[in-house]
Amino acid sequence: MAGALALVTHKQFQVRSKYLSHIVNIQTEVRDPAAVLAACQRLGLPPPVQRTVKLFSGSAAGLAVELPGWRYPLVCETATGSLKYDNYQGAWGDTLQLDQFLQAYACEKAKLEARRRGYSTSEQRLADGSIKLTIQVAGGAA
Amino acid sequence: MTQIIELYVSSTGETRLATRGFTGASCQAASQFLEAALGVQQQEQFTSEYYRTANGVATKLEVCPSLPPS
Repeated sequence: MAGALALVTHKQFQVRSKYLSHIVNIQTEVRDPAAVLAACQRLGLPPPVQRTVKLFSGSAAGLAVELPGWRYPLVCETATGSLKYDNYQGAWGDTLQLDQFLQAYACEKAKLEARRRGYSTSEQRLADGSIKLTIQVAGGAA
Repeated sequence: MTQIIELYVSSTGETRLATRGFTGASCQAASQFLEAALGVQQQEQFTSEYYRTANGVATKLEVCPSLPPS
């Protein structure tokens, strides 16, 4: 269990509308410490701390994130984009918390990058729990 | 025309990016920064709008292996 690499697998989204020109599925990699911090703030978690974490077996160094109810912290190795954790298949931490962190990270990372380029963004929570982020590149407000 | 990038982030952190209002390869150029920032591209699809030029002329449709069914 220790050292498990979090894989974000592809799942089909329904994106159907006019004028779509290009659709890309992306496997999220956690590489940006600023976005990790923003994700923690968004979820009301303590700020991440750069340290070496002792897991049940072995250890991991990186940005340690304290997920609610998790026995061991989640470790974000931002140099490689991988996640290390030990939740014993859910017994030592609900995978839902990890999923929420990944969702928050992807949203915050996208917003950071969009703002860096001066683009406006708007966010909408959809009925299935997913988040739609609209980034205005040209021609009006998002 | 309004040009936007739509990013759908699932409840498990999976992401899908779609561009809207672009013609031709400009959509790839516009969204490349986001693709690179988020992680690794798993799959890419082009719609008929991708093969449409700014003046509305469709091109290269016959050589598109990944064109989705209409």
